[in-house]
Amino acid sequence: MAKVNVDTLVVKKPPLGVRMYKYRYFYLMALPVVILLLIFYYWPMLGIRYAFSTYKLKHITSGQGPDYSTGIGNFQKLFTDRFFLDAFRNTVILSFWNLVFATVFTVIVALLINEIQAEWGKKFVQTVLYLPHFLSWVVVASIFTLILSAGSDATGVDTSTVGFINAVFLKLGIISKPVSFLTEKSTWRPAWYIIQRWKETGWGTIIYLAALSGISPDLYEAAEIDGAGRLKQTWYITLPSLMNTILIVFILNLAKILNVFESVFVLYNELVYSVSDVIQTYTYRKGIQGNDYGYSTAIGLFKSVISLFLVTGADYVAKRIRGYGIV
Amino acid sequence: MKKKLIRLTSMGLAAVMTFGLAACTGNGGGGSNGGGSASLEYSKPDSIKMTFDTCMTPENGVNDVCAKYEELTGIKLELEKPDHAKYYEKITLSFASGNPSDVIEMGSTYYPENANNGALWDMTDAWENTTAHCKEIIDESYVDALKMDVRDGSGMRLYGFPTVAGNGTITYVREDWLKDAGMDLPTDYDGFIKMLRAFKERGSNGKTPGAIPLTAAGLLNNGETPYDIYLREFYQDAIPDFYQKEDGTWADGFSEPEMAAALTRFREAFAEGLIDGEVVTNKTSTCRDKFNSGLVGAFNYWAGMWDAKLEDNTPGATLLPMPAIKETGGYTERVPTALVITNNCSNPVGVFEDLIMYSHDGGEGQMLFTRGVEGEHYEVKEDGTTVALKYLEDPTKDVEKSFYAPELSITKWDDPIKLDPRVENSLEVFRSNRKFATVPVVSDVISDSLANLNVIKGEVCANVIHGNLTVDEGMEKYNKEAAPYVEAILADLNG
Repeated sequence: MAKVNVDTLVVKKPPLGVRMYKYRYFYLMALPVVILLLIFYYWPMLGIRYAFSTYKLKHITSGQGPDYSTGIGNFQKLFTDRFFLDAFRNTVILSFWNLVFATVFTVIVALLINEIQAEWGKKFVQTVLYLPHFLSWVVVASIFTLILSAGSDATGVDTSTVGFINAVFLKLGIISKPVSFLTEKSTWRPAWYIIQRWKETGWGTIIYLAALSGISPDLYEAAEIDGAGRLKQTWYITLPSLMNTILIVFILNLAKILNVFESVFVLYNELVYSVSDVIQTYTYRKGIQGNDYGYSTAIGLFKSVISLFLVTGADYVAKRIRGYGIV
Repeated sequence: MKKKLIRLTSMGLAAVMTFGLAACTGNGGGGSNGGGSASLEYSKPDSIKMTFDTCMTPENGVNDVCAKYEELTGIKLELEKPDHAKYYEKITLSFASGNPSDVIEMGSTYYPENANNGALWDMTDAWENTTAHCKEIIDESYVDALKMDVRDGSGMRLYGFPTVAGNGTITYVREDWLKDAGMDLPTDYDGFIKMLRAFKERGSNGKTPGAIPLTAAGLLNNGETPYDIYLREFYQDAIPDFYQKEDGTWADGFSEPEMAAALTRFREAFAEGLIDGEVVTNKTSTCRDKFNSGLVGAFNYWAGMWDAKLEDNTPGATLLPMPAIKETGGYTERVPTALVITNNCSNPVGVFEDLIMYSHDGGEGQMLFTRGVEGEHYEVKEDGTTVALKYLEDPTKDVEKSFYAPELSITKWDDPIKLDPRVENSLEVFRSNRKFATVPVVSDVISDSLANLNVIKGEVCANVIHGNLTVDEGMEKYNKEAAPYVEAILADLNG
């Protein structure tokens, strides 16, 4: 019987053309998906060119099309507009801290939910925490405007119409006069972070709870035998096991960091523009109300480029620190 | 056999998907050739595509109104009613994609912008030459209010036809509070402030804990012109916008002493607690809620239907619509909402005559576009009287309108359903004291600058009134930050 030396067996790969022909029906089946990708994901990207043009409604109605003599004019305008620079700064600050709080609070709440032993209790808590996610931002804004209200008396003497939070703080003596949390520059951002967490923390736990259910009980059992308490088990088993998920969610969220709109749009006002106006609300005013498509596209392109750098940068850092990323 | 089956299945699937996609991306439209000439000779349109915001909902039977229109005229009316919150976003995108409807309902903020950009059909000649009955029964001041100069040398032209009167806000006063204070309706600013102080007293003497002397849904209405539609008692002769002086030159009203005086009045009244402390963040719905809960003495809100609604929903309250105080020179009537014909429409004269003129004909068209369909939205009783039926969606409420609010009709027609006398009274008070706002001036320079300029104005007003800035600091901030925009706009307008 002939012997085959498996160590030296070299499987010669057929040429690409041969392989493609062999799997031609799979390629054929993939064709609609590829076409779909090209049409709905890549074709619209051609619109990027408008960022380098003057393109307003009159260019469409007159049939003359975009004026490309603008070149990088839209970007020059962008970086000299103090409203855009304010909006960019606010977007980065609001999004960064929101991302940090989201990651920390969501993981903590997921860990706490995971500790609930009674199945019905766990389900009940999950349901209660998920519910705010399904409320529209308009409703959430109305609820918190009422709760955080400083009342209708501008002198602050008559406190009979103040909202729940002011009433409690006044009763406890924490404040002596009602605080208008949503119209004071110093309190608007903290209020916004809290409202964001109230609405989205529960929903964010889903992915972590799924990851937690995948951790082998053997690890906890072994740790328990070694004398580790609940906290040490969390610190040495749960958190390291969750790290991959935390990293993926963090990097994916980083890509969306500049996409803040609705929550700000329904909660900001003239008194706090300087700390609350974000790129999306700025774009809304300039693009939709001003019919300036070239300028709006330039803002969109700028946002996309920043997001791309953030994601690839975070991925690079993750690879350097932990040895792997997601891209 | 199995292999053949797989092959056929994969090919079939690929073909179906590919052709499906091709169909999706194909141009399904057609027939629009852009632009139309203003001639009275026209053919009856086969169909009209209309986008409308303020009509009744499909759940309440608006599609039945369209079906009735087709039955009466033989013209198919394809109605699109986007979500109210996204209406103008949708309209803007439809223009951007080059595929707007034939006819669009358009507010005064967007109307001049689109006319200036050449997106709207010039209906001046059609209106001047029409022989429709509408011409005999209409109040032409509403049509004139929509005429504007796009500065192409053609002068004042009409790019949209009013759906209803522009209307405006009026100050409603609680009659019972006024009686308790032993006062009559004020006729000047001093009297007005005295009245508000008396209302404030109700809160401090425990009669109405938390009493709000005066509320409104904002200080500077910078989402829509005119910016000073709310709280005219404080603006008085100030104009927080660009305006044309008697000599024909343009000026920036916000930087003038009258505006500083207005800010002073606002600031003093606010500091005294006479204006709702939440006026900056108030929405119209929150103001209504406050009023309906019996906390508000005076409320600056829309004239007409709201008189009856506010009174009916506020237990124990009777309302008085306050005539404008003498310093204001009258309330302001907004530029009417327009029904515009886009340049995408292939038969604009036909649409103008058979839809717009028909809907204001004082007869069956007006009845359909105002009251809806007989048997579904209203009924004629055996004794000959006509009554509104209940909304299909809410059987506790009478149908108010199909497309056009009857109380704001721009034609003198015999509406068979009589209006609530309170509604008529508040409109009478408003109209006896009103002046028409003019179509906001537009240009490329204004479009470029307006968004930022409005932010500065809003910031200045809110911060001055809240006491974060003095009036002088506020005006200085405005003059400094708005200078590049104001100078560019004035140079453009006066150039």
